Amino acid sequence: MVETPIQDLTPLTLSQTQPRAQGSARLTVKARDGRSVISRLHQQGSLKTLFPRTDGTALTAVLLNTAGGITGGDRFDLRLRAESGTALTVTTQAAERAYRANDGAGRVCTGIHIATGSRVDWLPQETLIYDHAALRRSLDVTLEPDANCLLVESLIFGRAAMGESVRALSLDDRITLRRNDKIVLADRTRLTGDAHALLAGAATGAGAGAMASLVFTAPDAADKLESARALLPETGGISQPAPDVLFARILAPDGFALRQALIPLIAHFRQDPLPRPWMI
Amino acid sequence: MGMDVPIPMPTDTHHLTLMQWLSPGYPVGAFAYSHGLERVVEQGAVGSADQFETWLTDILTLGTGRSDAILLHCAYRTETPHRLVELDDLARALSPSSERRMETELQGEAFARTTAAIWGSEDAPLAYPVAVGAAARRAGIDATMTCAAYLHAFAANLTSAAIRLIPLGQTEGQTVLARMTPICHDIAVQTAHLCPDDIGSCCFAADIASMQHETQYSRQFRS
Repeated sequence: MVETPIQDLTPLTLSQTQPRAQGSARLTVKARDGRSVISRLHQQGSLKTLFPRTDGTALTAVLLNTAGGITGGDRFDLRLRAESGTALTVTTQAAERAYRANDGAGRVCTGIHIATGSRVDWLPQETLIYDHAALRRSLDVTLEPDANCLLVESLIFGRAAMGESVRALSLDDRITLRRNDKIVLADRTRLTGDAHALLAGAATGAGAGAMASLVFTAPDAADKLESARALLPETGGISQPAPDVLFARILAPDGFALRQALIPLIAHFRQDPLPRPWMI
Repeated sequence: MGMDVPIPMPTDTHHLTLMQWLSPGYPVGAFAYSHGLERVVEQGAVGSADQFETWLTDILTLGTGRSDAILLHCAYRTETPHRLVELDDLARALSPSSERRMETELQGEAFARTTAAIWGSEDAPLAYPVAVGAAARRAGIDATMTCAAYLHAFAANLTSAAIRLIPLGQTEGQTVLARMTPICHDIAVQTAHLCPDDIGSCCFAADIASMQHETQYSRQFRS
């Protein structure tokens, strides 16, 4: 078992100097003495997993892309498995960056299997989309009976503060949630072309520069719907599209406003405090 | 399910069958759904024929229109009942909100029920685009023609909603709908060979509008 102390951060290198980054990680979490601990960890390439010390019984994993971002031809693959009776929170050390891609799309595949009686909170920081980025990303979550999850993905289209807008983009971003092998939620984002223009419409982005999707499952999900709705900004919505599933979507002018909207909402769906990278 | 053997029908009546299936008179209750338009009109984001045209074009080309077109074509090509159930599960799971899910489920259910009662099929309830694609296959009606007609009916229904909600004049509304005709045709052609993995939307604000519509104070529509 390899447990990497958080102070051993590999210095960031920009993806431009390492154009075809590749990284993969496999993590299995098991229950031991009432706590969730690492059962197996295998990682290689530009994807590192750190385990900061935290209070409480859940395990927190912090992902780090040592290539500093994603560009054309990059490939990242992450497999997480929460064995029975565990709780795992996953976040990222920094915002992910999808850089200009000259060589096909960058690919990021994440698979999470959550066993009976377990819960996984997938809370990466924002993904910052640069002009001319090409990204194919999938998040596939499978739930056994009595397993639950909280999933949050945020996209920022260009850095508004720097007057940057995304004029050319090829983005395919998907979240798939299955319970007992049956698909219960499929969020499919496809944004191809002049993202700035495409997001201007009243049906699309209403001029927003950032968007987040949130998925929450629980047997009593319906009980949290009204209280969650009260936390949303005017440009956000939440609903219960399937029996034990809540789905929220938030638009915001920029990444800062999006995070301001997300923090209380994430806190609402968690017993534990938000992971540290969200507090900075 | 009897979908493996298309029932031969004279080709020159196919467009008439499609007109029946997709007319406002076919009892699927389409008139009750606004796809979140009622919310965006209330918000003031859509308040003119021009703004409605942009909204509807985006819904068709970047949102549910294109996604439903792919689902319809895929349902048409589906060979086995098991695969049709999987496609139907995906169609339902794509709904971002309870009202959008109801919109596709209840219309699909009513379409399948009515069509089965008249043409003697035995389809289980399916999401609306899947139900229409499966029925067209069974009847041997061209997939792309069915898809274009389905998209046009969707656009026509939302146009009727816009005429009531904004409100627009009848001629103004029908002018917008006429401009959707080539768009519906193009989507139907372009999606003919796509697969479920090609489905995707960037109509985020429309999703949010459908979520917010659930708690809108005064409502004429179910979505």
